[in-house]
Amino acid sequence: MRHEAPRTRAHVETAGLTVTYRDGLGGERAAVRAVDLALARGATLGVVGESGSGKSTLARCLLGHLRPGARVSGGHVRVGDVAPFDLDSRALRAFRGARAAMVPQNPLSSLTPHMTVGAQLGELLRRHARLRGRAARARALELMAETDLPDPASLHDRYPHELSGGQRQRIVIAAALAARPELIVLDEPTTALDKTVESHVLDLVARLQAELSATLVYVSHDLNVVARMCSRIMVMRDGAVVEEGDAAALLRRPRTGYAEALIAAMPRLAPERAPSPATPAGPPVVSARGLRFTHRSPAGLFGRGAVGRPALDGVDFDLARGETLGVVGESGSGKSTLAALVCGALTGGAGSLRLDGRPLAGLARSRPADQRRRIQMIFQDPLASLNPSQTVVDIVARPARLYFGATAAQARAEAARLLAALDVPAETMNRGPRHLSGGQQQRVAIARALAARPDVLLCDEITSALDATVQAQAIALLRRIQSEHGLAILFISHDLALVASIAHRLLVLEGGVARDHGPTRETLLTPGSAYTARLIAAFRRNATAMPSSAVLADENRTKKMLSSGH
Amino acid sequence: MADAALAPSAATARTPSPLRKALRSPATVVGLALVALHLFLALFAPLIAPYSISAIVAEGLTPPSAAHWLGSDQIGRDYLSRLMSGGRVALLVSGLGVAVAVALGAALGLVAGYAGGWLDDAVMRVTDALMAIPEIVLIAILVLTFGKDLAALSIIVAVVYTPGVVRVVRARTISLAALDYVLAAELRGETRAHVLFREIAPNLSGLLAVELAIRVSSAVLKISALSFLGLGVSQPTPDWGLMVQEAMSVVFTDPWFLILPAAALSSLIIGVNFAVDGLARAYGVSATEA
Repeated sequence: MRHEAPRTRAHVETAGLTVTYRDGLGGERAAVRAVDLALARGATLGVVGESGSGKSTLARCLLGHLRPGARVSGGHVRVGDVAPFDLDSRALRAFRGARAAMVPQNPLSSLTPHMTVGAQLGELLRRHARLRGRAARARALELMAETDLPDPASLHDRYPHELSGGQRQRIVIAAALAARPELIVLDEPTTALDKTVESHVLDLVARLQAELSATLVYVSHDLNVVARMCSRIMVMRDGAVVEEGDAAALLRRPRTGYAEALIAAMPRLAPERAPSPATPAGPPVVSARGLRFTHRSPAGLFGRGAVGRPALDGVDFDLARGETLGVVGESGSGKSTLAALVCGALTGGAGSLRLDGRPLAGLARSRPADQRRRIQMIFQDPLASLNPSQTVVDIVARPARLYFGATAAQARAEAARLLAALDVPAETMNRGPRHLSGGQQQRVAIARALAARPDVLLCDEITSALDATVQAQAIALLRRIQSEHGLAILFISHDLALVASIAHRLLVLEGGVARDHGPTRETLLTPGSAYTARLIAAFRRNATAMPSSAVLADENRTKKMLSSGH
Repeated sequence: MADAALAPSAATARTPSPLRKALRSPATVVGLALVALHLFLALFAPLIAPYSISAIVAEGLTPPSAAHWLGSDQIGRDYLSRLMSGGRVALLVSGLGVAVAVALGAALGLVAGYAGGWLDDAVMRVTDALMAIPEIVLIAILVLTFGKDLAALSIIVAVVYTPGVVRVVRARTISLAALDYVLAAELRGETRAHVLFREIAPNLSGLLAVELAIRVSSAVLKISALSFLGLGVSQPTPDWGLMVQEAMSVVFTDPWFLILPAAALSSLIIGVNFAVDGLARAYGVSATEA
């Protein structure tokens, strides 16, 4: 399918576009380097790349927007007959509302907290469609209905914080479409949303794009999503275009090693590739029976706090040595509460929790030191879990000093050995964690956990802050550690595809209740509950956009990539 | 091919030291120079001043001359010598008092912020009570109670400035305690003392340095105001606030007696603020809550 009709001028065009920003050292760095782009009216382009690739900067340029300190140092941008960077601020405001619209990543920060969503839509309609009063309200309700919001009349008068994440993102989309723009730019619009919600929002965007025959530019780090939404894909790295072409062709036969690595790193839901259950499972290291927890709202001036719905309601599981139990669920499913109970960050849970048959006390503080040592936690945000005032080697050395009474020199030597084994460069050892890349930071956090020589590793969304290729490396690392040390791993994530690629067994949570619990492969092939089936379907819908040949070839690629990486 | 593609780019790039970065800004350089000048004068003014601060060496109110660059004051003392020493007492008292305030405030703020509960409530209610009294009234009451010698003034500065430090440190402690590295330490089973002094406190050093500098400059201003009102430094010790007050009787005939000490005081305050702004930005410390 070709989008640029010959002899017709492209609808959206950049030529040699270069954006530089001051780096605070008096020098200039390029965020976007000589990017050429030509899109016909109604074309859909996905821009993918890892963090820092310049994809967001490029997308903003299409609306004539630059971050403070950045400037266009070469080339030009054109949308229709307009060059956004040549417009004065009034003309630019009119252009942005009426002809080009942007849907940003975080819907909450792009809505004004003190105005009802209806009032915010009304303001846009007044400015761009000259609608007032009753007409504006009627149009706002129409837009809300168009974005599949339930009961627009009652939502119209609510404030942003009273809406769910998916509803907010629909409002932002409704606002973006208020003036029937010819160009829609979406910057990671579903990253903050649950998978089933994401799926609905993507359907909605695709439908509205077709109705308006708008040109769509979709920025994302998620190739699955881009493959589903766009007919063309552009891969960026360090500000430059690495590869651009027809989506299906690019995914099937990437021409560059970088695109190939990106495709290989995407987790894909493939039951046939799920790890089979660990063979001699043995007695469980951790076992939970009837685990229950209810958050108590803070006690007021009078009386005790109200008791709400339980965050965790009667969950059972067993975790054996050498086995990975994947815990999947959307936000509010209780999966983080489960981790907090096991590691001892929360107290007041009911039911039984045992480590090697011995009961575990609520808070870590009231557990014996040996129990604390044997359960180690790895956190979601690696940077927040490493103290910026300590050096990498000191961070990793601490558990040896605390648990094994090692001398400072012994502990540091052991830490250095661990860090080397996890491929953290030796020259970073005496630096602060801020000087490391995200992937290296997470390796340091893993090294700290291993320094305690644990039996159980708790991983709570440990890859969600990492780029896809780094995420694939982290997962490979965990597998290696597990086979070397025979660890039991509790792997918690909202990403079913990711969990399915590492977990021997799955525990699916919804609203604090276990909906499914069993070997990964069987659970994926024959889900035991409607909820699990729906979750699988939401992941499938993205995955079907990916060509099967890529699926078949990528296991080898991942292996090759990871082994040559070190 | 793939391995090169996946190497973390520029993660370990060398960056210049924060101090070097700070010195690129002219305002920071001016600020640091002013602070250095004032510290130098505070330490060595008696050694380098042309005359003693209390010796009567001329007629009253003589104009500038080769022997007396800034002339003489009402009773014939060399004005330049007195101006050079005019910040010493205020700086000494402020420095001592604020150092105590920061140490005490940091300790209380850390404990209150981390422990929470009744301890937090107790510390914060006392702080609120102290902060509810207008500062100048509080100072007046304390001066009338403790007198106005150096030790008393230092204690007064400490009492007045501690509550502010407690609040800032408590707020930062609460936000730091919510970070995962603190949770990680608690889950490891570290003692409360280890969590407070090894995990949290080191991350307050930038904040405390900013607090110290900003509050010393504010205390100097306050001590000068006290001297102006006759509640602070008294004759014959030279002090900018006192010199401004003495100048009030001759302000229409000899305005430089007002302008010079006021300018000296302003240059110290401006110097500290410029220097702190520049350094805080370069070291990535937020000075906004100070």
